This record gives sequence, structure tokens and C-alpha cells, in this order.
Amino acid sequence: MQSKFSRLEIAPGVSFNAIKDDRFKTGRISVTMFLPLERETAAVFAVLPFVLTNSCCKYSDFTSLNRHLEELYGASLFADVNKMGEMQALTVAVSFLDDKFTLDGENLSRSLTQLLCDILFDPLLTEAGAFKEENVEQEKRQLIELIDSEYSDKKAFAKSRCEQIMCQDEKFGISKWGEKKEVAALLPKDIVKAWQTALKTAKIEIMALGDLDEKSALAGFKEAFSKIKRENVAKFETQVIRKAEKVKAQCEKQDVAQCKLVMGFRTGAAQTDPEVMAVRVAVALFGATPQSKLFLNVREKLSLCYYCAAKYDRIKGIMLVQSGVEQKNLDKARAGILNQLDEIKNGNFTDAELDDTKRSLANSYRTIGDFLSGLENFYLSQVFDGEFLAPEQFIEAMEKVKKEQVAAAAKLITLDTVYALVGSEEVAK
Amino acid sequence: MILKEVKSNRLGDKYFCVEHASGLRVFVYPKRGHSSTYAIIGTKYGSINTSFKPCGENDVVQVPDGIAHYLEHKLFESEDGDAFSKYAKTGASANAYTSFDMTCYLFSCTEKFEESLKILLELVQSPYFTPENVEKERGIIGQEIRMYDDDPSWRVMFNLLGAMYHKHPVKVDIAGTVESITKITPENLYKCYKNFYNPSNMVLCVAGNVDAERVFELVDDLVKPNDGKVPECIFPEEPYNVVTDRVEQHFEIAMPTFQLGFKENAGKDPLTEEQLVQTDIILQALASKSSRLYKRLLDESLINDSFGYEYFEGRGYAAVIFSGESKDPDKTAKIIKEAVDELHKNGVDKEDFERAKKLVYGRNVAMLNSAENIANEMMKLSFAGRELFHAVECIANTTLDQVNDRLKHQLDNKNSSLSVVLPMPSKKGR
Repeated sequence: MQSKFSRLEIAPGVSFNAIKDDRFKTGRISVTMFLPLERETAAVFAVLPFVLTNSCCKYSDFTSLNRHLEELYGASLFADVNKMGEMQALTVAVSFLDDKFTLDGENLSRSLTQLLCDILFDPLLTEAGAFKEENVEQEKRQLIELIDSEYSDKKAFAKSRCEQIMCQDEKFGISKWGEKKEVAALLPKDIVKAWQTALKTAKIEIMALGDLDEKSALAGFKEAFSKIKRENVAKFETQVIRKAEKVKAQCEKQDVAQCKLVMGFRTGAAQTDPEVMAVRVAVALFGATPQSKLFLNVREKLSLCYYCAAKYDRIKGIMLVQSGVEQKNLDKARAGILNQLDEIKNGNFTDAELDDTKRSLANSYRTIGDFLSGLENFYLSQVFDGEFLAPEQFIEAMEKVKKEQVAAAAKLITLDTVYALVGSEEVAK
Repeated sequence: MILKEVKSNRLGDKYFCVEHASGLRVFVYPKRGHSSTYAIIGTKYGSINTSFKPCGENDVVQVPDGIAHYLEHKLFESEDGDAFSKYAKTGASANAYTSFDMTCYLFSCTEKFEESLKILLELVQSPYFTPENVEKERGIIGQEIRMYDDDPSWRVMFNLLGAMYHKHPVKVDIAGTVESITKITPENLYKCYKNFYNPSNMVLCVAGNVDAERVFELVDDLVKPNDGKVPECIFPEEPYNVVTDRVEQHFEIAMPTFQLGFKENAGKDPLTEEQLVQTDIILQALASKSSRLYKRLLDESLINDSFGYEYFEGRGYAAVIFSGESKDPDKTAKIIKEAVDELHKNGVDKEDFERAKKLVYGRNVAMLNSAENIANEMMKLSFAGRELFHAVECIANTTLDQVNDRLKHQLDNKNSSLSVVLPMPSKKGR
């Protein structure tokens, strides 16, 4: 059975999406709440899904909650925060063994749907109506440590610095976790307020994936949301800057062995613009496959780096190129990368190269359906598009992209920011 | 060729396997309704195999550290072009990796499977090393090594292995060092290739949208017969005790990270599926999120979601390793060791055992979700003489007594090492 996608609005701005598929050993249900990314609220919303997964009324402490999950064959409960354009996406999810494989015929999907509802709608609150201080402090500490751990990952750190510098005057430049000092200052009552705001105003997408009892899941969520007064539902807003005016360059020093180079570009086309598919193809041809211009030239021919790859963010309309090089080769790498982009702008690529790129993209689209996480992310990424397309429809649109359109799409791409994280001088020698 | 069908009623799945005349073992696990097919071929040859007696020779050869990984990079090139450009014509997404004891080449595709499999099988059978192409790779791999030099989670692991192992080559970085790879030449690459890339030392696994018969036919057409000899690998005698109980390194980071390893006797024979399941249950009972240990570490603000544990084992090495970020790695290690003491004193609790067993079972079945996991797992199991469905089945049959017996040989508090990576002493945090 191939997966079947269905979607139903169960409350204003709350949709229940079912992806019915019996090929998997597990099922997954996630609830994602989209809210505008704002400097004042980023931290409090970021900590919310973590506090919720640690404040269930029915399983009131960490140990009893996890005992329950382990008894349900090691079911997992996740909290996560992402940035989608200039929206902050808060996710709480469960994943669990499909009922067919339990040793004693338990119905796991029903138990876990119930748990997810309990977590979202029935948290443990004090008499004063706030989350318990110790739970809040626990999750604040862990969120701060998460922010610190990004600083340890120099590749990720350099990428997020480049985004910050490039989008310093846009909401996209705000960290999805908020700032450390803001997290530290949060009070239990702030988080309760954020919880109420999220349930009332977030655009909410529920995804139920696998061979599970989606009817009872749907009924459970419908019932729960019927008690919430939904109003002022968050609208999707993301500023797209179509062209970089002048190039910003920033170099920062740290004790690193290898220099991390990140180049940020504006792609001109974003979201549902007609040129988006041509930009996708152009970016793949430029630097997203082992047959790409960047891999073949900057890595294989110039032997400058191990990784050099481009990634397109369709919702924000930007492209980032990341590489790790010796400091002395920094200029060479930057020039090499820009040269390859010019090649595409000038149409200096063969039909065969274009076909190879399309085949590789088609392969990725066709593979999506073999992974629950692939399906989930694929459909979630289209939430703000106004319509949902299946992977095959993407392939169809992509096959139609012509060579001239790829070159024209590449011409829309302009360099905005060059960021380099370099070693201190002693190290660089 | 005798085709064997292996079935699991519990999982409703089956796979086929065959030992080809060349010695190549082939496993095919069809997954109903899948669009993609994942194929992986591996040789039982990794970073630890640097000392060996070449087939038909008496003298032991020592090759440079990192050569297995270098060979993996170079095998993508052959006289008639590189494999990536061939895969580009089939749309397959290809990759390769080298671990301590395996080198694997893989692809995933949704069309032209047979062409892609042909590319894969030719790739591992057509080495082409020239002074120029070997030289060109040095810059690329040099940058790969430098990238890992900046990765605290990578460094903390190799520092731990260095603290636990006196002689075993598992303590050496898989890619070698910028210095050691300068000694790699077409000659020593050919020497390693000829010795280890022998079909009788290799396994092919295919999972997903696939017809088993066709895979076996293609293997028959494309895999060349050979003399079936595999070199004898030499490993130095490794003492039981660790080298040192603590090692540290400083990085420009804001959050310290640690690995705590309990070294144990690796024994002569590979461990059985049963032993591995027993260890897994012990570790879950000791340190899962529902454990007293986890609770205590959380209450003391010592760990976060990055906390984890694994059983790290292979030829001549075995250790239980705890890892994670912690503001105070030393205190965390002390508390883990106290919990280990208590566990040895009281044994695994009956209730904890039942819960851990369900957890281990659930996670193992969930692993079979993807064709990629299945094929990778079958490859690892096959090299160690283990079997996939038996590994799942024996979870349900494990008893508390077996687990407590196994515990006696593990988690020796007097034989552990702690590796920590700390922020720079001068600048704390950001």
C-alpha cells in the first residue's frame, strides 16, 4: 500500500493530517504549533515544548512518565523547536511500535494519542496556576545547554552566524531558541501564558503517520480543541529580500584547526514563486550532489576541501554555501565558489549535466515516501503554500524546467554575506 | 548456489541469502510497497587492520594509519572514470564509509537498480591508483581530518580510546593523521586492496524494492571468482587494565563533554546475539530515562538530553561507554560509578528488567523500519557471525538470571577511564 494523505480542519486554524501507510514497524503522531518568530517571545516559546513534555498531570514526575513510555515498548516522546521562514515551529511528538508487533497485543497508538493530548492540554500546574518551578528550571537549564552546545559545533555555529549577520534586520535573524539571558529570566507564569497563547492562536498541524487508529486520534484531538477558544490565528509572514544590495563580509577568530566558510545568497525566488523549481534545479546543479559544480571543481579539481555544498531555503528565499578550508586557501575557495555560480548563470553546463541533476532530484523525491520522517517533513514544509502537492507532482514540475530557465534562475541569485570563522594566528601557521 | 529463505513470523518479514561461488555472501530483504532500493557492499577491513600477513607470505606488513579510509576514497575512481559520474546516469544517491572494522560502499535508488548494482560491484573490483590521483586526494582527506580535529565529540571519543587501550589500533583515528597519510602510495594501496577486497571477505546486502533472484543472477555475472584467501591480521596483546583513568583536552567551547568507558575482556570469540541483548538490557535498566541513576543526574543538573550509553565492541576490544555533555563530568562519572556499585551489589531488579526488555524489543523492531537500517545491520551482523531475526527473537527469551550472570563480567569500576573536553581555561563560555 502506498501512503494516503488526508487532511481535515478540526478547529479554526487546527488541521489533522493523516498519512495512512501499513509498511512501517512504527507509528508517529506529532503536533506542530506555528507562531511568529519575535525577539520578545522566542525564548518563552522555545522552552514551552520542553516544559510540556516534563509536566504531565497524569504522570507527574519525570521517572513515572518515562516508566510509562518504556512499558509501551520504548515509545519516544519528543519536543523540538524549528524555524520555518520567520515562523517558530514548536513540536511535541510521540513515536511508537506498531500494534501488530507488540508481544501481548497492546493498543499502543491509542495510549500514546491519549498521552500526547494529556501533555498538551492537561499539564501539571500549581495552585497558583503556574508550571512547577523545578520543572521549569530543569528545562531552562537544558535549553541554555543546547544553545551552548551549538557553540561547540563549529560548522553549525558558523552557519548560524552567517544567517544572523545576513538577516540582522529581519526576523529570520532571531535565534529559534531565543537568547541565553532571556531563557534564564523566564518565570513559570510566563510559560503558562505562552502555553495558553499557543493553544489559542498558533496555527496547528497534527500529523498522524503509519498504520494507526487515526479515527480515534482525530476524535481525541477534536474533543480537546473544542474546549479551546481559538482566536487571532497566527498568519504566515516571512519577509523576502529578493536582491542583495552590497556584500557584507565578516571574519571572526576562534581556536579552530580548520576555517569554516559560509556564504549567504539571496535567491530572488521564494515560497510559491513560479521560478522556485528552476532555482531548486540550479542550486542542485551548483552544489547539492556529488556531480555538482562545487563538488567536482572546488573539491575534486582544486582539492581545497572535504565538503563544499549549497542548500536552498525556499521559504526564506536564501541559499547558503558551506565549506571547511585551510585559512590560506580562503580567498581561493571563495573565488572558486563564485566562479562556479557564474558558470551556471552563463549557461555553461551541458544538457547531460542538467539531466543528471534532475535524475538525482527525482530520486530524492521518490524516496521521501519510504520514511515516516520524510513524509512528515515533506507535508509540513507545504503548510503555508495554500495547497499540498505529492512528490510525483514535484517531479513532474521539475522535469519541465529548461536549461534557459536554470540559467535565468541562477541570475536571480546574488551574494549577500561572506562569513569566515578562522583560527587564531598561532593556530593558523 | 543454494538459496536460503529466512523468515520471521513475529515480524512478518523474510529475507534470502546465498553464498556465491566467489565467497561473497549475499543477503536480499524485499520490503513490500517500497519505492527505493538500498544496496551496500562491505569488506571486513577497517582502520584497525594495519598489521597483517599478506596472503601467501610469511612476513608481517605494517601499513600507514588511515589507509583503509584512503582506499575507500580512491576506489571511487577507476580507469574509465569515477563512480559518482556513473551513478549520475542512474539517479542513484551513493556514498561510502570506513569504520574500525569495515569499509562499505552503498547506494539508494528508485529506478535503474540493475545498472546501479553493476556500478557498485564494478567499483569494488576495479582499483585504479596512480601517483597523480593518490596525490590529489591528500588535500581532500587532509581537510576531512582537520574537520574532525574541530569536533569535540569526535576528539572526546578518541581521547577515551587512547586512555583505555595500550596497544590495540582501535585507539587510532579512522582517517589517520595529516602526517600518517603522507606515507600512502599507489603501491601500499594496491597491497591492501589485493589482500582485503576478496569476495570471501565481503558481504552484499540489498533491501527495499528488489527481486532477490535478479540480484543473485547479477552477482553471478559480475563477481569474479578468486582464490578465496584472506590475510591473517595481527593484533598486539592488549592488557586488561586501562592506560589511565582520566584524560582531558581543551577546546573553544561553552559546554564540557565527556565519555566514561568501562573496559572489559574482549575474549577470543565474537559475542553472541544473546550476550549483546543481555548487555543492552543491563544498560537500559541501569541508565534509561526511567532509572534512578538518570533521575539523580537530572536532579543534580549534571546531564541533558545528550546523555547516552552504548556497548562498543569488536575484534580485541569491548567496553561500555557513557557519554554526554555535563557541567561537571567528574561528578557525573562518580555518580555513575556509585550506581554501578549498587547494581553489582543488588543485581538487576525484576521490574526494571521487564521494562528494559520491552524497551529493547521495541527499539530493535523499530530499527527495521528502513531498508537502509536493515541492510547496514545485516552487514554488521554477518561479519560477526550473527543473524538478524535471531537477534530480535532472543530478546523475548532473555531471562533475569542470564542478565545477572552477564553483569558479573561487565562494568568493572576499577577499570574505567574518563575522557573530558573542557572549555579553554582562560575564557569561560562566551
